[in-house]
Amino acid sequence: MADQQTYNYKVVRQFSVMTIVWGIVGMLVGVVIAAQLAWPVLNFDIPWLTFGRLRPLHTNAVIFAFGGSALFATSYYVVQRTCHVRLLSDKLAAFTFWGWQLIIVLAAVSLPLGFTQGKEYAELIWPIDILITLVWVSYAIVFFGTILKRRVKHIYVANWFYGAFILTVAILHIFNSAAVPTSLTHSYSAYAGVQDAMVQWWYGHNAVGFFLTAGFLGMMYYFVPKQANRPVYSYRLSVVHFWALIFTYIWAGPHHLHYTALPDWTQTLGMVMSLILLAPSWGGMINGIMTLSGAWEKLRTDPVLRLLIVSISFYGMSTFEGPMMSIKTVNALSHYTDWTIGHVHSGALGWVALISMGSLYYLIPRLFNRELYSLKLVEVHFWTATIGIVLYIASMWVAGIMQGLMWRATNSDGTLTYSFVESVQAMHPYFIVRFIGGAFFLLGTLVMAWNVWKTIQGAKPATATIPAPAAAH
Amino acid sequence: MVLQHVWGLFTNPKREWEAIRDDECTIGKCYAIHVLILAAIPAISGFIGTTQFGWQIGAGDPVKLTLQSAGLIAVAYYFAMLVGVYSLGWMIHWMGATYDAKVPLSQCVVLAAYTATPLFLIGLMELYPVLWINMVLGIPALAYTVYLLYTGVPVMMGISEDRGFLFSSAVLAVGLVAFVALLAATAILWGMGLEPQFTR
Repeated sequence: MADQQTYNYKVVRQFSVMTIVWGIVGMLVGVVIAAQLAWPVLNFDIPWLTFGRLRPLHTNAVIFAFGGSALFATSYYVVQRTCHVRLLSDKLAAFTFWGWQLIIVLAAVSLPLGFTQGKEYAELIWPIDILITLVWVSYAIVFFGTILKRRVKHIYVANWFYGAFILTVAILHIFNSAAVPTSLTHSYSAYAGVQDAMVQWWYGHNAVGFFLTAGFLGMMYYFVPKQANRPVYSYRLSVVHFWALIFTYIWAGPHHLHYTALPDWTQTLGMVMSLILLAPSWGGMINGIMTLSGAWEKLRTDPVLRLLIVSISFYGMSTFEGPMMSIKTVNALSHYTDWTIGHVHSGALGWVALISMGSLYYLIPRLFNRELYSLKLVEVHFWTATIGIVLYIASMWVAGIMQGLMWRATNSDGTLTYSFVESVQAMHPYFIVRFIGGAFFLLGTLVMAWNVWKTIQGAKPATATIPAPAAAH
Repeated sequence: MVLQHVWGLFTNPKREWEAIRDDECTIGKCYAIHVLILAAIPAISGFIGTTQFGWQIGAGDPVKLTLQSAGLIAVAYYFAMLVGVYSLGWMIHWMGATYDAKVPLSQCVVLAAYTATPLFLIGLMELYPVLWINMVLGIPALAYTVYLLYTGVPVMMGISEDRGFLFSSAVLAVGLVAFVALLAATAILWGMGLEPQFTR
């Protein structure tokens, strides 16, 4: 069995390349809808191109197609490298790749056509949901099966984060998507009223907590020490913050339903848990930053390290902002405004996208046995992306605060100072700045795509022999 | 001398930072010749702008604040800036240990105070509160402030440029977090009924 002497890099390569492809698609749709908000005429009165249909396409493409592919690629790589063993099954791994791509294509077709379950971040209709379940269970079998046949005793902490992400997303998806079908394309949720809303945001917030955080923390714990060429700052902290994070995150969902029909005590519980969440989040951030700080002499010369440190900084910033916004009084102002959109993007662009891209810059040369085509272009990518994020979140801060203040402003006789449409009109300049910021970020991604293309053009796929595990450590 | 370093920070920032470092200013003196004067620019401009000119949204009449409400906000704004400069200096001092920078607290407060110079000066535009103009002018001012931070940290903290890069980024992150905390505090105060009085 010569095959068992090497790692399965094929599936990692496939997912890595598709990460970039779907990144471009998803971000392009994002830039288009940002432009539509600034200039509504751009929907050309074509139903398939309206904001309501393209917005779920954007979120699904960036979260599940781009982020998901990055998670598949890195988790398959990390679990093999840290367990010193080939993936459990090449066939099943290939099934997860092709299955996941099929799901993405089905989403890209069904969402613009207007087929939706109406649940945010879980819009896909029930037949696709069943396919997702099949692929996800296969993913879990491949991942945990690989861990089971590992040749080292210890399970590295990155695998704990990946494992928690895979397991929790499976549970979230199955419960939130439980539905009674009425036709091939339509179904009713299994829950009613406020219970439905609560299940939805239990799912929604933990999609953030486990899909967009735990999985990417797994990435951080492998690729940051690798690129910095240093051990993790504190292994003990990484284990403590793992358990604290997964215990706390699962309770935070109700802060999406402040001042709704949800019982008040549930809202307060969600708020308190969100505030507690700051501690484990910052535990992770400090661990990442301190690992990188040991390599400070490389920071100015290695743009990949810089991409990683900026991503961890944005993780720290947005995990501070989140608990602040979950405070009921703050939420009364910030909810339904663009402050929320800015917050999401400081996490999504700043943390999730940058840590994925930094990891890919580490991964791609090793998967294709080639030096990276140009470090200079990574530098260009770093700056365009960072400027893009700053423009995006700064404009959304101003826009969001203004909306919040305008909506609640009253004259001394008790009448509203502004009509709603006045607040929409006031947003125009900020929506333009946001569009420019998003375009900058997309431009950075295109630079990366070009750089990666030149790197892998004509390259032969790399094969790596599994090294013997080090003796007792 | 009052405001003696302001001009140099724009014409030759690196040399000016060295001059500032060699002054070995105390916190009191730094406030007297720099912060107390410059922080008044945004506070007074904001007071005049929001009471006399107001801001216009769409085609409606300009919205203004009452004199009393705007006066209270201006005073709070002024003191918030004084406290903000000191707090940032304190944070720089606290983080300095991590980066092997052994300088007194006063030097860190001076660093924070002079870094904020462009932001104080651009406060003048609050005289005329048209938000998109303020944004177009404010972004370059903010960018220059960040530039001053990155040039100032290695000089004032006496560390290598490599370390200075990391230290400056950490200061920037702390600044961002403080800004978010300020947003939240504003929202809480507003929610408790301490909102401005509008007239139109």
